[in-house]
Amino acid sequence: MSWKNWENLAVMGVILVILFSGCIQNSEKPTSLQTPKATVQETVTIIGSGATFPQPQIEKWIDVYSKVKPNVKIEYTGKGSGGGQNDFKQGLVDFACSDPPLKESLWRELEKKGEPLQFPMIIGAVVVAYNIPGIDNLKLDGKTLADIFMGEIEYWDDVKIRELNPDANLPHEKIIVVHRSDSSGTTKIFTTYLGLVSDEWKEKVGAGKTVEWPVDKLGRGDGGKGNPGVVAALKTTKYSVCYTELAYVYKENLKMVALKNKAGNYVIASPQTIKAAASEVSINVPPPTKGYKEDMKAFLNAEGENSYPIVAFSHMLIWKNYEDKARENAIKEFAKWILTFGQKDENIVKGYVGLPPELSSKLIREMGL
Amino acid sequence: MRDAFSGTFRDTFKVSILPFSALIFGIFLLMLLVYFANSIQIFQKEGIEIYTTNKWIASEDPEKEFYGVLAAIYGSIYSSVIAVVIALPLSISFAVFVIDYAPSKLKEWFIIATDIMAGLPTIIYGIWGAFVLVPFLKDFVMYPIYNHLSFIPFFSFEPLSGYSFLSAGVLLGIMVTPFASSIIREAYRMIPFKYREAVFSIGATRYEATKILLSYIKPAIVAGVILAFGRAIGETVAVSLVVGNTFNIHPSLFAPGYTISSLIANQFGNAFIYEYMVSALFAAGLSLFFVGLAVNLLGMYILRRRVHE
Repeated sequence: MSWKNWENLAVMGVILVILFSGCIQNSEKPTSLQTPKATVQETVTIIGSGATFPQPQIEKWIDVYSKVKPNVKIEYTGKGSGGGQNDFKQGLVDFACSDPPLKESLWRELEKKGEPLQFPMIIGAVVVAYNIPGIDNLKLDGKTLADIFMGEIEYWDDVKIRELNPDANLPHEKIIVVHRSDSSGTTKIFTTYLGLVSDEWKEKVGAGKTVEWPVDKLGRGDGGKGNPGVVAALKTTKYSVCYTELAYVYKENLKMVALKNKAGNYVIASPQTIKAAASEVSINVPPPTKGYKEDMKAFLNAEGENSYPIVAFSHMLIWKNYEDKARENAIKEFAKWILTFGQKDENIVKGYVGLPPELSSKLIREMGL
Repeated sequence: MRDAFSGTFRDTFKVSILPFSALIFGIFLLMLLVYFANSIQIFQKEGIEIYTTNKWIASEDPEKEFYGVLAAIYGSIYSSVIAVVIALPLSISFAVFVIDYAPSKLKEWFIIATDIMAGLPTIIYGIWGAFVLVPFLKDFVMYPIYNHLSFIPFFSFEPLSGYSFLSAGVLLGIMVTPFASSIIREAYRMIPFKYREAVFSIGATRYEATKILLSYIKPAIVAGVILAFGRAIGETVAVSLVVGNTFNIHPSLFAPGYTISSLIANQFGNAFIYEYMVSALFAAGLSLFFVGLAVNLLGMYILRRRVHE
C-alpha cells in the first residue's frame, strides 16, 4: 500500500523531469538543426528588437533582404524603443531600433562595452487625426492645437478654431482628446512639438513619453493603448481628436488636420511634405559615433514652404565591432543595404518615408560601411 | 502519543502530497516577497504617498519623478464592485434556471455556452466592449440617465466618450458571470434531494423553495462572489480598452478612470527607462494583494457569522 504511494510519487517526479528536460532540449534544437543546412557559406542569424513604429518597415526589409541573401537570417521583435535599448545594453540582441535618439547617460554606459553606432534609417510623421462628421478640411496652427490638447478650448466651434476655418460649419460639441495611455515615443515627439510652438504647454505639461494630460482632469480625455487603441477610440467617439503615426492614418482612412508650418502654410502630412522637412533638417543629424548628440527638437517645426512640422527619424543601433567577424560583416552589410537599396521607393512601406539620398550616403561614409 | 506518532509516518500518502501543497504555498510567498522587494525603492522615496496621492509624473530626471496610484486603486475597486453587483443576480438566476427550469435537452447546451464564455480570450470581450458595448451604453443608458438625473452624484458626469467606470464594470460583469455562475450552479445541483422534498412538503411555493435552498448554499455564493471579484480586479486587456485610462477620481459612474491592472499593462513596456517607475508599478501590484486579502477576509467573516447564527 505504502509502496504504491512512493511509486506514484516517483512516477510524478520522473514526468516532471522529462517535462523540464524537454524544454531545455527544445531551446537547444535550432543549433543542431542548422549545422547540416550550411552549404557554401554558414548561415548567420541576426537578432534585433526595439521600436514597434518601424516594425512593418523592418519586416519588409527583412523579407526582401532574405531573398537577396538567403544565408542571413534576421529576426526582429517589436517591444518598444525602451525595451530595445535595454536589450542592446544587456547584449541580448545584435541590433536595436529606437525612435528617440539615445540619451547621453546610456551612450556612456554603452561606450564601456564597445563602440555603439546610431543612425537614422527611416522617417515618420506624427499626425493629428479627428472625427467630426461633415468636416473634411480642418486647419490648425500649433498654438491652437496645444490649447485643444490642454483642454483650454472646450468646443469645436470656439472662436480660435473658427478663425482658422472660416468656411467650415463647425458643430457646438465638446472636444474629446484621445491620447496614448502607454508610454510611447510618439507621445514624446508630439509633446516636444507642442512645447516648441506653445510656451504655455512647455510650462504646464512639458514633454515626455508619458505626460499628465490636463484634459484628463477635465473629463474630456481618453487614453488608448498603442496606436491601435487610440485609433479605435477615435473611430468610435464622435467629435474626438488624436495624434498618431501616418501609417495608421493611411491604414484606417482617417481625416488629418492640416498643420501650419513655420513658413505659415497649412500642410497635410504626405511623402512630399515629409521629405521637404527632412531635407531641411538632415544637416542636424550627428555622425553615428556621436548619436547621443542628436536633438529631436532640431527636426521639428522645420523651415521651408512645404515642410510638414512634426517629423521624426527612427534609428538603428549597432556596434562597431562584434566578437564574431562573420556576424559583424552580416550586420554591417544589412545596415548598408538598408541605407542604399532599402531606401528605394519599392522597398518602403506606405506611411514611411526614405532618407534624403545625401544623408544616407553621408551616414555610410561616416560608419565606414 | 505513540499511536499518533507512528500514524503520521505510516500515512505515506499524506507525506507524498505534502511537497506539492508546500510548493504552491511557497510560490505564493515567493511572489509576495518579490513584489515587496521590488517596491521598497519607491516606498523609500515616497513613503505611503504612492497609495494616497493621484499623480503620475514620469520624468527622465529622477528628481522630478513622482507616482501616486490612488486613482487606479479607486478605479479597480469601483469597477470590480460594479461587476459583482451585476454578475451576482445574473449568475444566481442563471444557475436556478438551468437546474430547475431549463428543459433537460437544453440544459447541457446552456452549460456548454457559459463554459465557452468563461474560456474566451479576454481580448475578444475587450474589442466587443470597445466597438459595441461602449457606444450602446453611451447612447441608450448613460445619456438618458444623465439628461434626467444628473443631480444625483452617481450620474453627475457627462458621458462624453462613453469610456467610463460603468462601461468597465458592465463588461467585467458579463465576463465574470460564467465563473460565479458555474460555482453556484454546481452547489445548487448538489443540494440533497430530500431537502427539496422537505421544502415542498411544507407547502412552500417555488419562489419560497428557491429562496430557502439558496440560503443553504450561501458559502458557495460567497465563494463565487470572491472569485468573480478577483477575476474582475485582475482583468487587464479588456478593461484598458473601455475604462478610459485617465487618472481620475470621480464618484460618477460615467466618468473615465484607470485600474491597477491596466496601468501596469500600459506602462510596464517602457517603465525601466525611468528610475522609479518599475518600482512604482510593483507597489501598485502589491496593493492588489492587499485588496485580495481584504476581500477574502470579508468573505470569511460573512461565512463565520453565518455559522454563529
